[in-house]
Parts: sequence; C-alpha cells; structure tokens
Amino acid sequence: MTASETPLKVIGKRLPRVDAGERVTGRAVYPADLTRARLAAGRIKRSPHAHARIVRIDASKALALPGVLAAVTAADFPVIAPGTIIPFGETGSDAWISAVTVMARDRVLWRGHPVAAVAAVDAYTAAKAIELIDVEYELLPPVMDIVAATAADAPVIHSEHKPKGFDAGATAPRNAGGRTLIERGTTATALASAKMVTEMNVVVDTAHQGYIEPHACVAEADATGFVTLWASTQGAFTTEIQTAVLLGLPQSQIKVIPLELGGAFGGKITVHVEPIAVKLAQLCGRAVKIVTTREEVLGGGSGPGAAARIGVRVGADGDGRITAIDGHYVLDTGGLPGTPTTLVMQASAAPYQCANLRLEGLDIMTNKPRTEAYRGPGGIQAAFAMEQAVDELALKLKIDPLEMRRRNAAVTGSTMPIGTPFPSIGLTTIIDRVAAHPSWSEPLKPGKLPRGRGLSLGYWRGTSMTSAAHVTMSGDGRPMVVMGAVDISGTRTTMAQVAAEEFGLSIDDVHVETGDTKNAGYTDVSAGSRVGRTMAAAVSEACRDALAQLAQRAAEKLQCTAADLTYAAGAFRVASKGGAAINLHDLMRATLTEGAIIGRGVSTKLPLGVEVAAHVCDLEVDPETGHVTILRYTAFQDVGRALNPAAVEGQIEGSVAQGLGWALTEGFVYAADGRLLNASLLDYRMPTALDLPTIDCVLLETPVPGVPYGVRGVAEVPIVPVAAAVGNAIRRAVGVRMTEMPMTPERVRAAIRKQSG
Amino acid sequence: MKSIVALQVNGEPLEALVDTRDTLLALLRDGLQMTGTKEGCSNGNCGSCTVLLDGQPVCACLVLAVEAQGRGVTTIEGVATNNKLHPVQQALMETGGAQCGFCTPGVVLSAVALLERNAHPTEQDIRYAIAGNICRCTGYGKIVEAVKLASDRQEIRS
Repeated sequence: MTASETPLKVIGKRLPRVDAGERVTGRAVYPADLTRARLAAGRIKRSPHAHARIVRIDASKALALPGVLAAVTAADFPVIAPGTIIPFGETGSDAWISAVTVMARDRVLWRGHPVAAVAAVDAYTAAKAIELIDVEYELLPPVMDIVAATAADAPVIHSEHKPKGFDAGATAPRNAGGRTLIERGTTATALASAKMVTEMNVVVDTAHQGYIEPHACVAEADATGFVTLWASTQGAFTTEIQTAVLLGLPQSQIKVIPLELGGAFGGKITVHVEPIAVKLAQLCGRAVKIVTTREEVLGGGSGPGAAARIGVRVGADGDGRITAIDGHYVLDTGGLPGTPTTLVMQASAAPYQCANLRLEGLDIMTNKPRTEAYRGPGGIQAAFAMEQAVDELALKLKIDPLEMRRRNAAVTGSTMPIGTPFPSIGLTTIIDRVAAHPSWSEPLKPGKLPRGRGLSLGYWRGTSMTSAAHVTMSGDGRPMVVMGAVDISGTRTTMAQVAAEEFGLSIDDVHVETGDTKNAGYTDVSAGSRVGRTMAAAVSEACRDALAQLAQRAAEKLQCTAADLTYAAGAFRVASKGGAAINLHDLMRATLTEGAIIGRGVSTKLPLGVEVAAHVCDLEVDPETGHVTILRYTAFQDVGRALNPAAVEGQIEGSVAQGLGWALTEGFVYAADGRLLNASLLDYRMPTALDLPTIDCVLLETPVPGVPYGVRGVAEVPIVPVAAAVGNAIRRAVGVRMTEMPMTPERVRAAIRKQSG
Repeated sequence: MKSIVALQVNGEPLEALVDTRDTLLALLRDGLQMTGTKEGCSNGNCGSCTVLLDGQPVCACLVLAVEAQGRGVTTIEGVATNNKLHPVQQALMETGGAQCGFCTPGVVLSAVALLERNAHPTEQDIRYAIAGNICRCTGYGKIVEAVKLASDRQEIRS
C-alpha cells in the first residue's frame, strides 16, 4: 500500500499549526528570551565609515572598564583566505565571505561593518565599553551604487578580486564580482527582424527582508571546550559549519540548537553574531548573549536584498509570439562579491517559450552591506523589468495581456532558459484559471481616482539539496519525528501531517521536533523553497522504514510473516487468518524493551519543484500625491500539492505583502558618504494592516513527478510578480511606465508630471 | 542608579529593583523573565512589545520602568486565564494568524484592548487597532480574520 493509492486523510487539510499555542501565549522561545547563569551581554562595535582602512584598534580602555569581561577584533579570529570553499549550498560557499561579513579585517567595507566586540556583565556596561574601543581609520572613498562603482575612474573595493565569467581579452567593469551568460539562438538578428520590440530599463533600490526579530544568539563553552550555540537561523548545520570554520574549531565540538526564529526570509543563512558570541564566551568563560538592535540590523548588521539595474528588450511577431529576449541584469552585491545572477536571469525569461535568448548577469561591488538572500532573491527585480516589457508589448500589439501570456507560456517539456526541458509545470492551467476568475473576468469598477488592473507572471526555480529525519516510537505507540530542519514556515505542522498520513493516524498522535546538530541528521538550510518538499520525502521514508520494522515485530506477535500483514489506521492485521490484529499501542507496550524502533529518512537531490504564479492587482492612483492604494490582489499559484492550504496561503499572503512593500515604499536611502538615512522601521516603511487589502489566494495543484505527494516549492515565487503587477496596473491607471522601485508617491507623482509635461 | 518600583503585573502586586534607565520592557523581560513580550525595534515603531498599561495598549519599550510605579500592566502571560485561551488567541491559532510568532504577543494585546473598548469592530476598526503592530509573515489577512472571529464569538456568548 502506498499513500498515493489511497485518498489522503491528513495531508491537504487546513489544520492549525501544532505550535500555535506557544506562539499565541508568548511561550515560544527565541534566542533573546534565553537566560543562563552568569549570562554576559555581548555587543558589537561597528564602523562609522562606509570604506576605510583600519590603521589600529585599541581595546585597552574598554577592557579596563569594570564589568568588561572580554573584547575581540579580527585578530582573534583565524585568517580565512578568499576561495576557502566549505560544503554549504548547492555548489559550496566561500567561507571568506562569511568571515569578512562577521568581522572586518584591515578594511571596513560598509558602514555598520563590525570591527570589534565586547562581553560585559550587563548591557549598559557593554554599550559603554564599545565606545571606549579606539579605532583609527584611514578613510577611503566609498562607492554607493552600481553606476558609481562601474565608472571608469571608480575606486576599486577589492583590487585582489579576479572576476569570473568574462571572455578572454574582455575587460570587466570596475568592481565586477563576476559575470554569467545564458545564450541561445540569434538574439540580435531576431530582435532586428521582430515586428515589435519593447525595452524596459529599471532601477531597484536595496530593500530589507524586514524580519521582526533582530539577530540574536547565546553561546556557551564548557571546560572541555565544547560549544553550545542557541541560534535563530535558517540552518542549524550551516550555522555550525560556518561558526566552526570561522573560529578554527572542529565542527564536532559545536552544537547548534536552533530556537524559534522570528522571521528570516533569506537573511538568517549567513552567520552574523554567532561566531562573535562563541569567541567571547570562550574568552570570558561565561555564556554570552548578543541581541542586535533594529538600527544594527538595518544599518550594516545584516545582509539586505540586492539593489539592481536591469534592462530587457523583448521582441515579438505580429501575433504576439515572443521571438527574442535580450536581458542585462546587474545586481548590487554590496561590499563582497558573489551575489548569484543565474537564477534571476532564468526567473525573468523562464515563463516564456523563446528560441532566442541572450541573458547576461553581473554582480557589482559597492560600499553597502553585503547583499544576502531575500525570498526568491532577485526575482522581483527581474520580473519588474521583464513583465512590464511584456505588458508593454501587449499594449502596443493590442493583445489582451493574459492572451499574450497564453500564446507564449512555457509548458511541460518546452525548453527552459538553460536549455533543458521544463519539468512538469502548470502555467497554462494557471492562465486558464485567471481567465475564468472574477478578479480578471469582471471589469474593474471605476472610482473617483484613476484605477488600473495589472497582470504579471512569476517563476522561481528553487532548490532541493538534502534533508533528513528519523522516527522513533514512544511507549504508547505514537511516532516521534526528529527532523534536521528548523521551522520557518510551519514545517513541524506539515511534517506532522506527513507522518500522520503515513501512519494512518491523527495529527494529534504525532510529535515533531526540530533537532539540533548533535541529535538530528544533516539537513541543509530552510531556504530556496526546498524544505516542505524534501523534508516530506525524508519523513515519509522514515515512517515507512519504522513501519517495516514494526511489521516484523507484529508478525512475531501474531505468529505470521510480515508479508501476511496489512497495516491501516494504527494497527497491523493478519489478512489471511480471520483478522487477528495488534495496534501500535499494544505492540509497543509488548516490545518496548526489545530495542528501539528507529526509522530513517534522507532525501537528496530530489526533482526540482519549480514554482509558477500569476498575480492580478487592482489599484487606484492619486495623481495629485502619487499615492497608490491597492484595492484588490489575487495570487494564483501552482503548488503541486498543498500539504496544508492554510500554511500555503500564509506563505503567499506574506510574500505578496513583502512584494507590495518593496513595490511601493521600501527602499534604503543612502547618503553619498554611505550613511543609511532610513535605518528605522518608521523611516524604512514596511506595510501595516492599513496599507493592504486581504490577499486572495487561488491554489492549483499540478503534482511534481518523483516527489512524494507531488509537493512543489511554495514560498518564493509569490513575491516575484508583485512589483510588475503593480507597475502594469499603474500604467493602465494613469498611462505612465514606472522604472524605479519602490514606486513611492514622489516617484509616481514625478512620472505623471513628466508625462503631462 | 537603582530604584524600587511597586506595580501590578497581570494582577499580581510586586516590587522590583530597577535601574532608572530600564524600560518597562527591560523590567518585564530581564527583571521578571516574562519574555513573551518581544523587542523588535526599541523605538515604538514595530509594536512587538505592546502591553496594556492600566488597560491601554502601549509600547513597553517607550515606558520607563519607574513610570509603571503604582500602575497595572497586562502582558501576554496574563491574557490566558487559568490556561484558558482568550478568544483572540484561540482564533489566531485557528486562522493561521500566527506564523513566526514574534509579533504575535503584541498583536494579541492590541486586539484584546480593541475588543475591550469595541465589542463589534468593523474590518477597518480591526486594521486600525493593529496598525501599530508590524507583521512580516502573514500579510495581516489571517490576523484580521481572527480578530473578527473572536469578536463574533464574544457576541454569541454575551
């Protein structure tokens, strides 16, 4: 019997989170909530300059302050050379990037870059102590955006860096991190002969993931040197390896215990405070807690999403068939190279079947905090260019924008930008659903102010990597699941549903724990839309392994062979002998002391669960103020199979809200000297409950073959189309094409003024 | 400088020795180990530290501990009585209005205060009442739905 042959009883149900009770009562524990005996307060001293050489750091006055227990600088950490690749992510990761992000060595690369840290008996003393650390800087000229950084005479941030991906003999732009090219067909020729070509050049400001929990951790080292680190992280194991390598410790000597994390969205993959807290704990012999402030988080203490300059030219024939896409994607990688551009380029072109592609991606270094992942990283920026270009094509060719998409939509087996056939996708099914849905089929009612409706598609590839879980049986016959992933998206709940389904039990009969790095199997980060799909595979395998072991025991008790048994709803039954049966409770009571049942499940390199979506946005523009009001927003998405529709909607609604924030108000504003001018949640304006309508979600289910239950990635693609849907709606409301993001009232108003001359 | 503050927290009178620089938030979290109240920005911008001070929602990061002298504070730890969840908490669980959970305690207190003063809030009333609580996970829809559900249930009971 396999689950796919029987109707699902628990998977697919709209169930409350198993840990919701802890959350609504404030009992869920995040690192900042943890206390230990003689807990010391750690605090980080940060650079006031965006670019400078560190001439000298003197912590002696700080160390002389009563109550100060330890101080560290880069000199206390091993030197990690560029190119020190550690197994982390799909293709490995450069530990030098993590090391320089955590603590500046010799040079500061952005304002807010850590230069030193202290541990003290309390937070007041620690705050005073970092003021007493004397740092002498030799100022270097900062470069604050892509244009300035690539100017012919721009200061070079990393002169030793050799950018990869440039053709032999070609000169890389100044401050280039690297280049990627995806090319097929004859794009230039196809564009020249296209019936219609549209061009969109967009500029996107840096934006922050905006998790409400600032980075925090607690570290403790025991007398033998064994380190325990309580962390708020997207990956316990990836935090462990980064911390170990950055401190020169054996990985086996660190245990990372992931506590609850108060939002992450890509921003809690790279370590920030963790190695510093461990070092301070080692030096002072006490547990050390570091809790960052909001100003630290926004102002250089974390890695925001990438600013970008993206230009696309899209050509079509008279029937609206896209014949060529020429895209140039430049991402601002901040003070360190290596922001990947490949997925961004793919995300932008992938929804369309197109024979001629030339997609070129560059990452450019600036003196901003190092760019890190933010939910489908780069996707919203790329779609902002591409989906507006396609919309403009539809307008010029007088084709309905949904019909335009239908004529060009990628289908299962059509060629992806990277040249391989598309795995199963339901884009055309989504387009059909949009056509039939009132959010599209019913005309937008006019209001006092101009209104418009925008449509946009989104694609995100996601990743798989590896996930592990094991299942033991409690003495009362209930399965206990330990997984190696943290829970950032309701994973405990969806995995409890998977285990309950496999065991034929109720979700209340299953217990799921997020393990630590010493009691769970190696699992990659909770990122890249990979956890639900790959952990479901691991949990399902572990449950089946446990059930096979249980069947052997049941066979002994029932004096038959395991092959004679059927299993359903928590009981083994002899098929051929008139139905003698034993349930899991009685079986475990009878055999508890005969050795543990441990079911093992590991999923590695599972087929991708590519995500596709279409969004429809109705909005109103006040031409006087430039203010945009979102009236209605509907997100259509192929989710493969919704393990828990409430959880899936939660991911989509949250994604859209973040997307609308970046689309309309969220952007870092930097002064020329590198100061962030809006480093607070008042000035960096994220959407409140008054800024958004309730987001409507329409879930479609095209299962992914080869993946248990057909689960698809869910949580990244719903941010991808948002800004373009808004841009397209503004275009149809007031006739202006927005090229800057966020589309703040000032920018919208200016665009309207410019148009009306 | 240290000072003794006498106040009621969740109905219990207590005295606490505080640094005069301490915020009410620091007193609750570090002094009393009531860590359900969260610190997200320390500037009154995110609402994660919302508590009720004499029944009114305030950001505990903007109140000094010494200002709480003689006053009554309700925190998330005091919202459920005898382990029985408040209808707002129950509804948030059911609708999926709590995701990462970090903003949730503040949202609960803002919603509880709303229902105390307005048992029949409209959607706009609810959105206005929680506009000071930034949630980055949910997009607010399931939170608004939960507060509405809680108010409907209160209506049935009364």
